[in-house]
Amino acid sequence: MAKLATLLGFGAILLALPHALSFSQQEILVFLTINVLLVASYRLLTLTGEWSLGHVVIMGVGAYASALLSKRLGIYVPAAMLLGAVTAAMIALALSFPLFRMKGFYFLIGSFAAGEIIRLLWKRFRDPFGGPKGIKKIDPMPDFDIGIYAFDFFEPISYYYFALAVVGVSLWVMWRIERSPVGLTFHAVHWQDRLAEASGVNVRAYRTLAFVLASGFAGLSGALLAHYIGTINPNSFDVEQMVFVLTWTIVGGTATFYGPILGCVVLTILNEIVLREAGFEQMRPLIYGLILILSVLFMPKGLESLVRGAFSGRNARKNSAGETEAME
Amino acid sequence: MVAKMFKDVLTRRSLLGSGAAVAGSAAAAAILPRTAFAQDKVVKIGFLAPLTGPVAAWGKPGLDGCLIWGEWINAAGGINIGGEAHSVEFVAYDNEYDPAKARTGATKLIREDGVKFIMMLGGDTWPGAQPVADRTGMLFSTLLPSDLSPDTTTLIAPCEVHPIYNVTGVEWLADNMPELKTAVMCAQDDALGLPSVATYLAAFEAAGIEMQDDPLLFDPATTDFAPVVTRLISGNPDIVCLDTCYADYVHPICEQLFQQGYGGQVISCTADFYQQIVAKTSEEFMEGFVFQFPDFDDPALNDESINFQKPNEFYAEYASRYGADQWGAVSWEYASIMDLWKAGAEKAGSAEPDAVLAAMKEGGTGLHAFGEADWWGKDLFGIDNALVGNWPIVVIEGGKATIKEFRSIPEWYAKHGELLKKHMSAYGQMWDQRT
Repeated sequence: MAKLATLLGFGAILLALPHALSFSQQEILVFLTINVLLVASYRLLTLTGEWSLGHVVIMGVGAYASALLSKRLGIYVPAAMLLGAVTAAMIALALSFPLFRMKGFYFLIGSFAAGEIIRLLWKRFRDPFGGPKGIKKIDPMPDFDIGIYAFDFFEPISYYYFALAVVGVSLWVMWRIERSPVGLTFHAVHWQDRLAEASGVNVRAYRTLAFVLASGFAGLSGALLAHYIGTINPNSFDVEQMVFVLTWTIVGGTATFYGPILGCVVLTILNEIVLREAGFEQMRPLIYGLILILSVLFMPKGLESLVRGAFSGRNARKNSAGETEAME
Repeated sequence: MVAKMFKDVLTRRSLLGSGAAVAGSAAAAAILPRTAFAQDKVVKIGFLAPLTGPVAAWGKPGLDGCLIWGEWINAAGGINIGGEAHSVEFVAYDNEYDPAKARTGATKLIREDGVKFIMMLGGDTWPGAQPVADRTGMLFSTLLPSDLSPDTTTLIAPCEVHPIYNVTGVEWLADNMPELKTAVMCAQDDALGLPSVATYLAAFEAAGIEMQDDPLLFDPATTDFAPVVTRLISGNPDIVCLDTCYADYVHPICEQLFQQGYGGQVISCTADFYQQIVAKTSEEFMEGFVFQFPDFDDPALNDESINFQKPNEFYAEYASRYGADQWGAVSWEYASIMDLWKAGAEKAGSAEPDAVLAAMKEGGTGLHAFGEADWWGKDLFGIDNALVGNWPIVVIEGGKATIKEFRSIPEWYAKHGELLKKHMSAYGQMWDQRT
């Protein structure tokens, strides 16, 4: 009951949140929501122990596919978004054949190389990908009215609600996957791959499954991005963006479902709102880098360790209070 | 319901008006010229360009130049709009050359800061800001006219008609060094590099200079230029053309050309912070380097045809504040756009975007920094929103940039326009080819 109330309260805060923000903060909120899906999907991939440097490019596959399907074939935008996600998952499936011949560091480098090949293909083939300039005038999400609310998707609030619904459902699916036997097997593949293999688990199949699922959600986040800003180009999905995803993940921590999301939220607010408003606009990369170094040095288990610490402290206090009452 | 409320309320005029009303709330991000001013009324100008990251060299020096411009204008009594003096205030937003951040920045500048005009670098970032421009009718400027198309009615390119002016450098080379017969070219494979490649190809063809090889397009992520340069000079070309490479590429490429013993002619669109290149190579190596962006202490800029106000003093002030080696291609450009905007606003008696645009374009001509120029571009961009006239050819002599001559871009285009269109089409750079 308490959990349900907390969940409802959190949902109410998320619904009310954009109305408490300025116009530009609403814009940032939209991108933050999309990035939450991206970083959560990245964690799904890391569950099997593999870290990829091509995840942002896979996000771009979803963005390009959705943009082209809606623009060239006139497919309804929400359907194009789903097909973009499916395309990203299919590309990941194709890439998994060469990539999962490697493990660890070699997989990391292999995923970077695969991503760069995809980016170069976007640049090389102006038709249909638009070359270095990418694709412009991507169809926006069509406006609609549900009676109590008229969605105008130019407005960040409308798009935020749409993205929030998509991301919310996606996070719930990922949460369920992690809690299912499949998710537990992902953990087993990560921590005890030889034992898992000896127990009859097809380790490579599970790694591929995690890669494909994570890529599908990353592709969906790319599609959400493309239909909001209306333009994409190969530089939008370069290694610099990948470094941001890695930073959010490392600073947030990967032990919990919410760790990378926490990293993404805290660092985005810091970088895009706090430092800009504080007048440190041109020093942001320097300060951002400093915070990354400090957090790795002094908080190696990520921001999630603070949350876990706070909760375990509260639980300990509750328990000790309960014991005192019992003694009295 | 809330969105509907916004939709009802959010007309172009109401947006601009309400933006002005809330303008004071974002003072933290505002950049105030340091000189105190007596005017009560303030007109805010947005500066939406990369201030950090690899493209910052084409944003940050421009903001620095604008701050000097703003101080001078405010000290001289401000801008007279409708009979009232207004001081000018620049509000900057670092878009990091990212279209998503350009959209956020445009939203902030218009809806929160209440700016009346926004200056951008353009390129990859313009498509992000374009929906906001379309919805609000805000007047934007770009340094890259390849952003122009028939539907960008509130976007102007009033200063730098990149990359078309590059033709003047090649034409000058051909006239003054007819012994140079062969050329090679390299460029980063992106939205800035490719239209410039097409322009240089047209210019070389018009000048009768043979390309030894296809342009060498490298990835923008390239950091090691040794193999690029080795391949580039393997045929011993008379001219090495650096296209519109970013400063981060021009410097290492020049170093490599120097280290690999190249002794021929080098031509480039820009040579930002060229003093640093001279220091890394040698004065002898850089002697005769041709590019397109003068230092503003050049005596040639004191000619009466030049419309930029007090160019030598501007350069001296810039150099004293930031250092002469921080002077770059864009240090004066955004300030020169402000000269045009100021003249337009004073003529219109209003700072409203549509009124200023109409006043600026009245008569089909405008006072460009380098002389009177025409509003031009329908042929190439589908809209006459680029101000085109003369452009300087700059040569490094004795370690110092020197203007050799001003040449007319429209005159070159009248003779060789079809060549330019041919190469632009081949690289998919005509406005109707952009996806």
